[in-house]
Amino acid sequence: MSEKGEVDLTGAKQNTGVWLVKVPKYLSQQWAKATGRGEVGKLRICKYVSFTLNEELTVIEGIEDKTVSAPREHPFTMQSVGGQTLAVFTENSSDKIALEGVVVQRAECRPAVSESYMRLKRLQIEESSKPVRLSQQLQSPVTNNYKPVANHTYNLEYERKKKEEGKRARADKQQVLDMLFSAFEKHQYYNIKDLVDITKQPVIYLKEILRDIGIYNVKGTHKNTWELKPEYRHYQGEEKTDE
Amino acid sequence: MTSLGSSSSSATEYTVRVPKNTSKKYNIMAFNSGDRVNCSTWTQARMERDMSARRIYGEEEMQEGAAGSEFGKKQREEARRKKFGIVTREFKVEDQPWILKVNGKAGKRFKGQKKGGVTENASYYIFTQCPDGAFEAFPVHGWYNFTPLAKHRTLTAEEAEEEWGRRNKVVNHFSIMLQRRFREQERGEDDDDEGEKSGKKKKKGGGRGGDLRIHDLEDDLEMSSDDSDSSMGDDGESKTKAKKDTGKGKGKKKKKRKSNEEALEDSDDGDYEGLEVDYMSDDSSSDEEPEGKGKLSKGEDHPKGIDEASESEEESEEEKQNEEETKEEEEEEEGKKTPVQVEKKKKKDSSGESDSSDDSDIDGETASALFMKKRTPPKRGGGRGSAGSSRTGSRPGTPSIDSASTSNTLRAAASKLEQGKRQPQGPVTDSPAAKRLKMEPNSQSPAPSGKSTPQPPSGKSTPSSSDVQLTEEAVRRYLIRKPMTTKDLLKKFQTKRTGLSSEQTVNVLAQILKRLNPERKNVNDKMHFYLTE
Repeated sequence: MSEKGEVDLTGAKQNTGVWLVKVPKYLSQQWAKATGRGEVGKLRICKYVSFTLNEELTVIEGIEDKTVSAPREHPFTMQSVGGQTLAVFTENSSDKIALEGVVVQRAECRPAVSESYMRLKRLQIEESSKPVRLSQQLQSPVTNNYKPVANHTYNLEYERKKKEEGKRARADKQQVLDMLFSAFEKHQYYNIKDLVDITKQPVIYLKEILRDIGIYNVKGTHKNTWELKPEYRHYQGEEKTDE
Repeated sequence: MTSLGSSSSSATEYTVRVPKNTSKKYNIMAFNSGDRVNCSTWTQARMERDMSARRIYGEEEMQEGAAGSEFGKKQREEARRKKFGIVTREFKVEDQPWILKVNGKAGKRFKGQKKGGVTENASYYIFTQCPDGAFEAFPVHGWYNFTPLAKHRTLTAEEAEEEWGRRNKVVNHFSIMLQRRFREQERGEDDDDEGEKSGKKKKKGGGRGGDLRIHDLEDDLEMSSDDSDSSMGDDGESKTKAKKDTGKGKGKKKKKRKSNEEALEDSDDGDYEGLEVDYMSDDSSSDEEPEGKGKLSKGEDHPKGIDEASESEEESEEEKQNEEETKEEEEEEEGKKTPVQVEKKKKKDSSGESDSSDDSDIDGETASALFMKKRTPPKRGGGRGSAGSSRTGSRPGTPSIDSASTSNTLRAAASKLEQGKRQPQGPVTDSPAAKRLKMEPNSQSPAPSGKSTPQPPSGKSTPSSSDVQLTEEAVRRYLIRKPMTTKDLLKKFQTKRTGLSSEQTVNVLAQILKRLNPERKNVNDKMHFYLTE
């Protein structure tokens, strides 16, 4: 495990220089749509730096208007790093960290202002200014709930379920004890309701059995819960005595 | 970057690629410019996520199954939380800070905290140039600001608060961390000897300031010897050096304290007995007031008192008193002059080891201090008083003073003040403390009545250095102030206080009156004397 956490410093040693470029959201979206090798455009550097977006990437999805498209020309505004040291490190899918290099130049990618860009922006603004939640008035009141019925559907289902299950029958005491013991192996404290669910026994019968082998916690953190008597427990670190 | 930004006039075009299937996530590691971090100097680096926040987020996992667990506990807890609207934020590993260790154990350590909001509105891309001349752009996944971590010890929040409370008193700041280190050391050696440790700790705790605390002088002196043994090199030296400095200051204060102790104990001798609160007082109480106040504000009024004292007739006494007074003046000037401070010292003396919070309410404690002080001195004062009274034969001539002990100096000085100014309005410094002190002694006046001689309200036990003397000056002052009958005048110069018998008083008073030749007027069928100046 000495590999983990070890930073690969080759980039720093070589003093690899990189550029940090701030790119508008729509442009990065377009770049994500690039096909093939991922070519997105051309970077022209002379006295100024500018980026030209490839033709095929100017079509913006989701906007039907054909006159609205992403602009092609994007001049870069170059900025200096200042005194700040900005390093770039990468994280692998296998959690390997490597230092790729140091930022030597910062730049901002701006779109060349054009009509289509303005329209695009306008659409964007309209979309983002829509409130997330909207109150609407209904034309007519909702009428398909809370109608008076003879018996609600939920109740009907409930009663049907009950009938199907039938009253809980008292099973053999030994069986019930086995069930209880196995349940108490999993957890120490149980609510009476949960025990009834697990064992499917009538409450009174179950309580009788529980009174034999368990105790009822009235106060403390585990309030109103049943637990096995100490002599029946065999949790870790405790003595075991069977019934 | 070699071929970037070259000075080629013709434009060079590069293809920009955005690789699609990269498995690496790019992040920015930002350092502060002031830290002067140079990545090329790093020989070795380790970086891990700082998971210390996990235990805060993670619930206390009760044992799954078996002992101690309840059936359905988790669901119940969740339901409860939802009911109360408690929303617990998840612990996301992605958002945890990085811990970067550079150049091994002895090198620097950095903590990288994630900067939020970087990818919300705009995306950052890293452009690297490939060997084939094309650019590759990778999106930046996260931005982490790395700050250097302090390797030196720092104080915890509680300790910092304590030190803040003592910031005005602490001179030697080195000792703060030193003390803490000692404490930590001791805690480390806890296993060996509990008792010893507790004793040591107490001592060290006592001298914890190493600072200007008067009552800890002994502790600190002991400590300094201990420290030189166990301390580490320079630290020990600096500490002892600092101790010397503080010791000197303390020595000064100790001396002052001693002098104050002595002086105070004597002057406490039933002084404030019978002092009355009411400043708009009748004549009868005007005596007591100036007296008491004179005592309290003796610090400030010393120069005045001495000037006035020099006006009075007895020269021999003056000289002696002047000597002692100047001595006292020096001592007083070293410290502070307000009565409050005097009371503060009193308090420190009486309450052996007071707590270290010097910002505590002093006023509130002066009363208690006074009470404590009063219990002890009255006995002594009584004894001395009777001796004193037996000593003086003739009164107005020479109020003899215990020349041997400086203990009477304060009282002497105060008495001079009394002679000096019999003004009805009290001394200049009417501080509330003084006022309260008067109130306290007033309530106490019945208490120390166990004295042998029933003391006059002014509480002076020795008429020799009494406050009231039957002098022409005194009478003149009274008469200028307001018209008085002979009876009033006599009341002023009570026999107990002046030390004269009633016959003598009458005689002397008559002589004085003859000399003064005051004007007379009849008020309420009584003959009043008065003077106009």
